[in-house]
Amino acid sequence: MDIKDFIAPFAVWKRAFEKPFTVKKPIDERPGAPRYRGFHINDAQKCIGCGTCEAICMNKAIDLVPAAGYAAKEGDSGLRPRVDYGRCCWCALCVDVCPSGSLGMSNEYVWIDSDPEVFRYTPGVEAKPWDGSPLGYRRAEGYRLLEEQRVEMPELDYKEAVQTFLELVRGYSRQQAEKEADRCVSCGVCIASCPAHMDIPGYINAVREGDMQNGLRLLYETNPFPEACGRICTHRCEEACAIGTGGDPVAIRWLKRYIADQVELADYGKVLPRAEADSGKKIAVVGAGPGGLSAAYYLALLGHSVTVFEKDSEAGGMLRYGIPEYRLPYPALDKDIGYIESLGVKIERGTAVGSAVALAELRSRFDAVYLSTGLPAAYSLEVPGDKHPRVLDGVAVLAAATRGEPLGLGKRVAVVGGGNVAMDAARTALRNGAAVDILYRRRKEDMPADPDEIREAIAEGASLVEKAIPLEVRDAAGAIAGKQALFVWNEARMVQKEDGKRPVPEAIPGAVHEDPYDSIIAAIGQGPDLSFIGEADRLELRRFKPVVDGFGRIAEAAAGAAAEPGAPASASPSKAAAVFAGGDLVNDRKDAISAIADGHHAAQGIDRWLDRKGS
Amino acid sequence: MNELAERLARRYDAEGWHEQRKDLASISIPALRVRDVLAWLRDEEGYKHLSFITAIDNIERGVFTLTYTVRNHDTKHSLMVHADIIRENPVVDSVHLLWEQAWTYQRELKEWFGIDCPGSPRKDEEFVLEGWDQLPMMRRDFDSLAYSNATYAERPGRVTHDPAAYMKAQLYPEADQ
Amino acid sequence: MKRDRMPYIPPAERATPDLDSGKYLLMWQGPQHPGITGNMSLRLVIEGDTVVDCETHVGYLHRGFEKLMERRSWMQNFPLVCRIAVPEPDFNEYCYAAALEELSGIQIPEKAVWLRTFSLELMRLASYLMWIGGQAGSFGHGTIIQWSATMRDYVLDLFEELTGGRIYHMYIIPGGVRGDVPAGYFKHVLEVMDTVQKNLDDIELVMYHNAVFKLRAEGLGYIPPDWIDRYGITGPNARAAGIKRDLRKDLGYLAYPQLEFQPVVGSKSDAFERARLRLQEMYQCIDLIRQCIDLMPKEGPFRAKTPNPLYWKVPAGETYVAAECTRGEYGFYVVSDGSEKPRRVAVRGPSYTHAVSVMERLVRGVNIADVAGLMVSLHTYPPEIER
Repeated sequence: MDIKDFIAPFAVWKRAFEKPFTVKKPIDERPGAPRYRGFHINDAQKCIGCGTCEAICMNKAIDLVPAAGYAAKEGDSGLRPRVDYGRCCWCALCVDVCPSGSLGMSNEYVWIDSDPEVFRYTPGVEAKPWDGSPLGYRRAEGYRLLEEQRVEMPELDYKEAVQTFLELVRGYSRQQAEKEADRCVSCGVCIASCPAHMDIPGYINAVREGDMQNGLRLLYETNPFPEACGRICTHRCEEACAIGTGGDPVAIRWLKRYIADQVELADYGKVLPRAEADSGKKIAVVGAGPGGLSAAYYLALLGHSVTVFEKDSEAGGMLRYGIPEYRLPYPALDKDIGYIESLGVKIERGTAVGSAVALAELRSRFDAVYLSTGLPAAYSLEVPGDKHPRVLDGVAVLAAATRGEPLGLGKRVAVVGGGNVAMDAARTALRNGAAVDILYRRRKEDMPADPDEIREAIAEGASLVEKAIPLEVRDAAGAIAGKQALFVWNEARMVQKEDGKRPVPEAIPGAVHEDPYDSIIAAIGQGPDLSFIGEADRLELRRFKPVVDGFGRIAEAAAGAAAEPGAPASASPSKAAAVFAGGDLVNDRKDAISAIADGHHAAQGIDRWLDRKGS
Repeated sequence: MNELAERLARRYDAEGWHEQRKDLASISIPALRVRDVLAWLRDEEGYKHLSFITAIDNIERGVFTLTYTVRNHDTKHSLMVHADIIRENPVVDSVHLLWEQAWTYQRELKEWFGIDCPGSPRKDEEFVLEGWDQLPMMRRDFDSLAYSNATYAERPGRVTHDPAAYMKAQLYPEADQ
Repeated sequence: MKRDRMPYIPPAERATPDLDSGKYLLMWQGPQHPGITGNMSLRLVIEGDTVVDCETHVGYLHRGFEKLMERRSWMQNFPLVCRIAVPEPDFNEYCYAAALEELSGIQIPEKAVWLRTFSLELMRLASYLMWIGGQAGSFGHGTIIQWSATMRDYVLDLFEELTGGRIYHMYIIPGGVRGDVPAGYFKHVLEVMDTVQKNLDDIELVMYHNAVFKLRAEGLGYIPPDWIDRYGITGPNARAAGIKRDLRKDLGYLAYPQLEFQPVVGSKSDAFERARLRLQEMYQCIDLIRQCIDLMPKEGPFRAKTPNPLYWKVPAGETYVAAECTRGEYGFYVVSDGSEKPRRVAVRGPSYTHAVSVMERLVRGVNIADVAGLMVSLHTYPPEIER
């Protein structure tokens, strides 16, 4: 103890004349730091209501509630998160995890009210003074709790791929599949977008858990073509994927394929359900495409005896004849079909309804008939000269390739169209050694084909000519007449004719091109072939489409009282069995998964119909 | 360190030496030897510092696994000593004479797990819970959520929706037919 | 036990005062903050104004964290753990994150290592600033806390700027940290460090060269060196007794092996020595923060990829991760059974022994007016006892 210990403490007095540290609230504002974790803000337009914020919240402070002005639609649940500040701990994990990045926090921290109920609100839906605040906590650049990038799918090198018909996409390994599956947040927003409403989070979770048997069981609940759909599905689910709002969508399609690839066909029976009892009913299915066989599968599960009539020599429909084997190898398709046949479904191959057997005969021999004949007839170019022998039909080219027939496309090939058939025809031509131009009347972004297919076709060497309106096909002159054709087309520009509608191509005067080709493949769409339905069948068609009710049953033209659902069979004017229809023939989506969904739906409809009729 | 494992095995039937890090290992010993082993580790092997004592409820195996973590400050090595005691009658020797803070941990074990350490001071007094009449709270079979639901009221007016179920009801309710 | 009943005093080594004699007075200190320590209570038996016996009672801040963590996913526990020790939450975050990373085999990027070291030292400084106010206040020096609380608030401003939170920073997330430093941040940090250092100089002058403080603190709460291992005493309480132990050196975690510092060691082992040692550690914190800013890589990722937080399964195993907090050895013992939730998380707080066993022994013979000062000189936080 020295003298300093008595004097030093008086040093505090020097502070008496200094400016105080304190802030004079409310005279001086003291805003939160730019990263302050204050009250929530949500960009409700960007938010899709996936509920991942709710799932991560350890305090259960978040509820998903319907929000005025936001209806449920594909890729948006119509729900928005509501925060209960009685529970919120301001950790901002909800902000970190938000797949779309719509959720954030303002730097506002002062909110006083005598009513405790107000401290529970839906940010971005119920207006608050801090809405749109540029300051406040946001997920930092370079920091994500969820993986943005999809596990890259191993593919053949394009230069190598174009030499062969080997499958381009190699499939995930176990490690890759589990890593990809782990990206999913199981929100289920995708389910509504799948025409078959598959349990996507369920089977992705099965991949994550490594439980392939459960995965397969979940797949077959709604889709008996997992091998095929795991490869060529139009995967509308991925467009709705919550993860896709802030990165690559989860590779739902590849994961489906992964599950099906892992289980041997011989083991399917151990996992999948079977009919409990034979119903004694016989059902005919016309067309062994995905829709017809899907109906057959679910009808067989319900105990019905099913016979499928197929005009071609092999089953599979467009999956076999319209999709080249480098996208869907035949063994994979055969596995799907093989399992359906193993349930006792009979497929009468090479039996065309209309010529080999009449529809009326089926209606008398069977208790119900399901039409799933698809769209086999290609549209023509509808320009002068489109009957030239070198103008080929895309679907026919693909079918010939499937049958292994020589295609004789020549060295230079034009493919006209922008859909998947056009891409497949182009890529088939490339594999036959041709140089290929794809001519499409609109822009690349307007093409209806799957973006992957467009990307792959171009990567394999096809050149894309956009905004090309076909004008005429002329025979080549001289010695090559009849062996080559001149394709005449007009360059176009895109014109916005009506607001809110997509722009239309308009020919640029004078910008006409003429190119010689060995083959011109028209792939601009297909229509139905309903020639097997006669007047006497009295089935109602409108614009070449059967008119179906909620059961999938085709309305019968009135000749007396139409059979009402539930009416006794004897009351029906026609002794003939009811006819149902689905797939491309009926729906507007025109893809395999929709046909499969129709088949499933029709199987249930037929079953209920027979039940009602029988009782 | 494997020499220590061998000595522990020879002297005390210890087994399952596991090297977690270069400065952390674990080993299991018979519960009856707990006090001997810890005293020996403290007095002969330099593990003078007791970091903590706790238990894990391995309800599936019907045991509580005790964890005594001790550190040798000279070698900067920590050792987690495990001993299983049966859940039905969870009793273990007290180590309060080895370390002066041990009785508090043992009092905690009694209150949180129901593990008795005979002779440990104040072991039957309440530790952090007052008037607790449920199962010891850290036992796996004490359901804290059920307790919370039974004891406290939920704030009224809260409702949430599952996105998939809500979308189904809104967009394709017919799928349930 | 009901609180309205006299607690039982076991016979061994304890005073058994005859309260009926009228010679002794039974009184409770707490459960309001007995010093800046958090809520706990001391049941004191007084003879005159001298304490003859003490029993500690904890539980006022028990929130069942260890049980709650068994019900939450690995990532959901991240915002929970910081609440276990209010004035110094970041050590919880670090120990939990490091344990999780170790069990999952995740290597964090170098930048994250440095940002963690930086934020832990900043936290240490803030915690000491709060302690020094409590230490001075418990001896009747109200001015110091006015200064130190302000300095702490400046440090909390820095945390607010870096992490978005003042008290619960939730910055050290499993896998790394939640963000890089904002533009101009270190300049701001260095300015605050200069201000704090200047204030510490003032505090040293006013508090440590103060006859009242010296008279009351010197010789108070002497911890003999042979108690250190017997009681499991760690941190400044042990170093003030001349035991050179600092987990930052001994375990060499985070970036500490690359920083230049020596553990501060004392010898007299009384309240004044501990206070002096902590003041030196505050200067050391400032130095370490400056070193971190110099040595930290400017670029680079600050977080490693971790599995989907909703489904993160940690491989089965157990580990104990300890760190040197202001009070000593702070540790998380984490057990995973391979599922999406922890099997067991146990928190080792240094106050477990400092505030209970050590306090009960040291307080005997102390003047009633010095009990709070003694307790603060052990630097205790009840929440880490009760979890």
